[in-house]
Amino acid sequence: MPELAVCAYCGAVHRRAPLPGRTTARCIRCDAPLYHSTTEVPAMLGVAVLATVAFVIANTFPLITLSAQGHQTRATLWAAIMASYNYRLPVVAAGLALTLIVAPVVELTLLLWVLVPLSLRTRPPAFRFVMRAMAVLRPWRLVEVFLLGVIIAIVKLSGLATAVLGWGAFGITVMAIAMASLGSFDQSVLWQRAESVR
Amino acid sequence: MKTADELGVIACPLCELVMRSPDGDADCPRCGQFLPRVSRRGIGKCWALVIAAVALYFPANVLPMMHTEQFPMHRDDTILSGIKFLWREGSWELAVLVFAASILVPLTKLIVLGFLLVTSSRRSTWRPRVRTKMYRALEVIGHWSMLDVFVVSLLTAVVQLGRFASVEPGPAVLPFASVVVLTMLASASFDPRTIWMTRRGEA
Repeated sequence: MPELAVCAYCGAVHRRAPLPGRTTARCIRCDAPLYHSTTEVPAMLGVAVLATVAFVIANTFPLITLSAQGHQTRATLWAAIMASYNYRLPVVAAGLALTLIVAPVVELTLLLWVLVPLSLRTRPPAFRFVMRAMAVLRPWRLVEVFLLGVIIAIVKLSGLATAVLGWGAFGITVMAIAMASLGSFDQSVLWQRAESVR
Repeated sequence: MKTADELGVIACPLCELVMRSPDGDADCPRCGQFLPRVSRRGIGKCWALVIAAVALYFPANVLPMMHTEQFPMHRDDTILSGIKFLWREGSWELAVLVFAASILVPLTKLIVLGFLLVTSSRRSTWRPRVRTKMYRALEVIGHWSMLDVFVVSLLTAVVQLGRFASVEPGPAVLPFASVVVLTMLASASFDPRTIWMTRRGEA
């Protein structure tokens, strides 16, 4: 019944109507968003590629460079994770690695895995499995929170020494924006597209 | 306005396929996701997660989150004293931000979840639209409380200036991160459609 849209929050049934411009259809009963007008596979692919490039930058360059009394230290994403591990907090380190490295790597890989074949009008291999894996990972996307953490760390450090934002922080910023805009695309469109190219 | 139950249809929570309701339990024919009916069965699980989070909330806020050595001084900061420090030394704007993320968000989540659980299990007719909006707000703000854990990790990594200064994570880090994860799991296990199963018989 592709003509119907059911609200995930209250169960109200709506008949789908074409949306003008960049708009979102909302539930008449509880006001939750139902679907968006602007979900296009090429646009999603572009954003996913941008996020991947930004992720590589975020992991390659230091987030913060600190200098005091001739010493200079650099904190990369990986160093931040290893710091918790070195202070006997392996569970926290594992959590950080999971939310900041593993989840983004897996999510971006799976996204490209799905989006590249779909834009070439073929069905991606293991499509069902990949889509379900992405749905499991989505709530653990914490890049934007981490970005705010970098800013607060810089301010806290300013009393201690000279702290400067590195290129890694720029990568995190771009990645946070790209990942947030990926969240505004409808996943159901990918399912429809996959069915049509089968 | 009709609901999915009234029309005998069900929507897959994962791929949003709308189909005729199957008899008994079934998986979505398109994506294989289990199709949960609207039921209050999840409420017990949600309560368990909320109670676990409340229990860990105390060590998370009482124990020190961060230990700073800055020769010749050293200090232990809890979440709250860290915010006070940021207010005095850094900028009050960021102190407000950290206060919102680390104190207000977890507290709001626990109170609102408790309220939603009580009203849902009592089939309350009180403003379901407002309660649904409260639930959606929880989903948006939920993960922001992880902020302080990230700040401590970053500071630990960057402040290794030999004998001049160093930062170590404190014993509150693990309970604090657990509170955030538990409340995130709790809001995910709550079915907002139960808000609409009121005594007037909707949903």
